[in-house]
Amino acid sequence: MEGRNTQIVYFGPQHPGVPGNIAFKLWLDGDRVVKAEVIPGFLHRGFEKMMENRTWEMNVTLSYRFCVEDPDHLEIAYAMAVEDIVNANIPENAKWIRMIQAEMGRIASHLFWSHFIGGSIGLRTPAYWAVTAREEILKWFGRIAGHRVYHNLSVPGGIRYKLPADFKEHTLKVLDFVEEKARDVEEALLKNSVFKARTRNLGKLTSEEALMLGVTGPVLRATGYKYDLRVNAPYLNYDKVKFEVPTGSIGDAYDRSVVRFKEIYQSISIIRQALEEVKLDEPLRIKIGLTIPPGEGVARVESARGEYVIHIISQGGRKPYRVRLRSMSMPLLTTVVDYILSKEEITIADFPVLLASLDPCPPDLDR
Amino acid sequence: MATQTLIKSLKYLFTTPYTRLVPRKVKPFKTEKIRGAHILDMNKCTGCSMCQQVCPAACIDMVQVEGNYPQNPRKRFPRIDHSKCTFCALCVEYCPVGALSMTTRTGYELFTIDKNTTLKSPLELCRIEGEVTVTKEDFVVGITPVKLGEVPLKRGE
Repeated sequence: MEGRNTQIVYFGPQHPGVPGNIAFKLWLDGDRVVKAEVIPGFLHRGFEKMMENRTWEMNVTLSYRFCVEDPDHLEIAYAMAVEDIVNANIPENAKWIRMIQAEMGRIASHLFWSHFIGGSIGLRTPAYWAVTAREEILKWFGRIAGHRVYHNLSVPGGIRYKLPADFKEHTLKVLDFVEEKARDVEEALLKNSVFKARTRNLGKLTSEEALMLGVTGPVLRATGYKYDLRVNAPYLNYDKVKFEVPTGSIGDAYDRSVVRFKEIYQSISIIRQALEEVKLDEPLRIKIGLTIPPGEGVARVESARGEYVIHIISQGGRKPYRVRLRSMSMPLLTTVVDYILSKEEITIADFPVLLASLDPCPPDLDR
Repeated sequence: MATQTLIKSLKYLFTTPYTRLVPRKVKPFKTEKIRGAHILDMNKCTGCSMCQQVCPAACIDMVQVEGNYPQNPRKRFPRIDHSKCTFCALCVEYCPVGALSMTTRTGYELFTIDKNTTLKSPLELCRIEGEVTVTKEDFVVGITPVKLGEVPLKRGE
């Protein structure tokens, strides 16, 4: 690559087109990006090792700290993995509330993503409306869990806090507000001719290619492959609610955007169904001791970016022996970007749009 | 299509800004269960160090305070470093006597120019201003499960 007429440009981590704290080394031929090399490590804190040195109850506060946009799925997955070791059956009520928490997190994450892709194209106005809707969700979390971004609501055994008396009414009010804003953003963003021109036929993937590259989540579903853990391997009470799995057709950046917006409406529908099942006066948590017996626990959840797996090995006692996290963004930032660049002609102007359409979370890659 | 978008945009043109001018115009957003600075009840604390044990950020130290505290024979109370604290409320949840609680004092109200002032001694923790929001009663007490897969091992086994 070096000997040819190429130019090397360092892209990020301070560049506004980069989705977070990550950098790329780009080889440019004219304005075409020929090759990209990820430069990770700006947020590396060694989460897996840190979790081995903290006790079971402390690890809850650590389990979600590597993805700001979508922390709820990570927290729920940790709690589910610990429950898997002790074979605990948590109360039904806690399962419904976890589902509401997870879907609220998914909506907030997708709305925040529309801000990123709007910014990378230059369509900031509808993106600001989306952030307004996300802000309402964060305020809702502030009321339910005490904090806006890192909630610490699901712990091994169930739900940690008592719920307010007007939980259902408040949640329905927030959902109505969010749905109205999401429809406005969809109208102004997805039907905009500039957005269509910039995202159509950009970063195409077929189902076979996506599976080969290890992609899950909305990027895989946009290729037309119907795979969602909530349907294919249901956890919590996802088998008791009715919802559709939105899929795309050709798997380009526009399809991914459409799939994400459709997922917002499906999540709203799931929350409305789950709210009917929540009983505020029933138990929310079971007692799980401070020590966990020897064993292994695995939890898989469908997070906003794809499949997230956590594997915990316990040798008994107060701390886990080994924690392994399968990140959602690892294939998106490494293999997918490489593959698309080798196959398609991507210019330097389209590179941020491609990155934003994949919706990776760099801290999750670094951990 | 474009007209629809224009109508939506016009709707937003005549709305007031969503953002709020903090702290010049309004107070920061606070909920009734927000987790802010800790408040310590020195008449309840027995100095058992449970808060220090469960703190994931290791921001709690136990220090000695002179005075008459009959329930606390060694006179050891928690000292909390607010610059390290993540406000996860594990100390509040696991305190066996409910001596620690959390208040509405949060956000920019905790900012200081001198890092030494974030280290709150037990006597300072008693005098934290703000309404009490999260107490031990706000946490759900777990029911004993009917059948848990295996009985957890005791420490040291």
